[in-house]
Amino acid sequence: MSHAHAEGNAIESLERTTLEGKNKILGFWVFLGAEVVIFGTLFAAHIGLRNEVNFSVSGADIFSLPIVAIMTALLLTSSMTSVMAIQAMHRHDTKGIAVWLAITVLLALGFLCLEIYEFYHYVHEYGFNIQESPFSTTFYVLVGCHGVHVAVGIIWISLLIGQLFKKGLTVVTAPKIYVASLYWHFIDVVWVFIFTVVYLMGKVG
Amino acid sequence: MQHVGQAPSGDHIKRRKGHEGPRNHLITFAISIILTILAFAAVSVPGLSKGFVYSLLVLMAILQVLVQLGVWMHLKDRGHFWAILAMLFGGLVVLYAVVSVAYWIWFI
Repeated sequence: MSHAHAEGNAIESLERTTLEGKNKILGFWVFLGAEVVIFGTLFAAHIGLRNEVNFSVSGADIFSLPIVAIMTALLLTSSMTSVMAIQAMHRHDTKGIAVWLAITVLLALGFLCLEIYEFYHYVHEYGFNIQESPFSTTFYVLVGCHGVHVAVGIIWISLLIGQLFKKGLTVVTAPKIYVASLYWHFIDVVWVFIFTVVYLMGKVG
Repeated sequence: MQHVGQAPSGDHIKRRKGHEGPRNHLITFAISIILTILAFAAVSVPGLSKGFVYSLLVLMAILQVLVQLGVWMHLKDRGHFWAILAMLFGGLVVLYAVVSVAYWIWFI
């Protein structure tokens, strides 16, 4: 039945050839729906408390837009390179997948280093600790939660590259790579709202 | 290594919408870059009213996210009904949370 289905749909992509692969992608979307709720509620908390600076520094005082712009460029480009990895997968180009995923990981590492530097800078230059004010608490929890997601993505995609070399491109590894790229796009989508709501609006005041 | 190398070339079969190659993905990348630059520029221009900049920023963020969800994450393609529904449910909860917070801050 599934064979006939696959023929009827012309070329099904490798990640959707098996029912397990299809279900994996569907299940991952449910997970992403839950992630939307996590980040959305953190955003709501930050929007509500971002002006409560408790006589300490505000976002307009400390945010450095050039660093945020570089971080945005890195993450946006890494999202694009993970698209290129999926394009390579649809061409059954195993080496291409590995190369594009490796570039994605490198760009993500650059992003993470800048974020760590940024937090370090805030704490040591301005004494902007997590317990400083409601603004600092929601800032570190929201942006930190995103940073943790980036770190998890780096480990995840690195392991997938290893597995790709070990097992090759199969109907088992293809859905994993597809799902990881969905995750990575989602991280970039969250960052779009972070640089808009936290940094740019924080800078405006 | 099953399946690899056995896939039809695709020239004689009409390919599924959304797998037409990197063109749409590159256009999405360009749109994202332009919207991001516009957002950063809107903050740097002096003399604009706060409400106007806020609305502009939110509008551009939503536009960029919709384009990325649709093209990069393939939500515009066929067979993504449940995926869209999952995201809409998540979005509904977020809308509820943000509107509640806004009400709490400005009207209570």
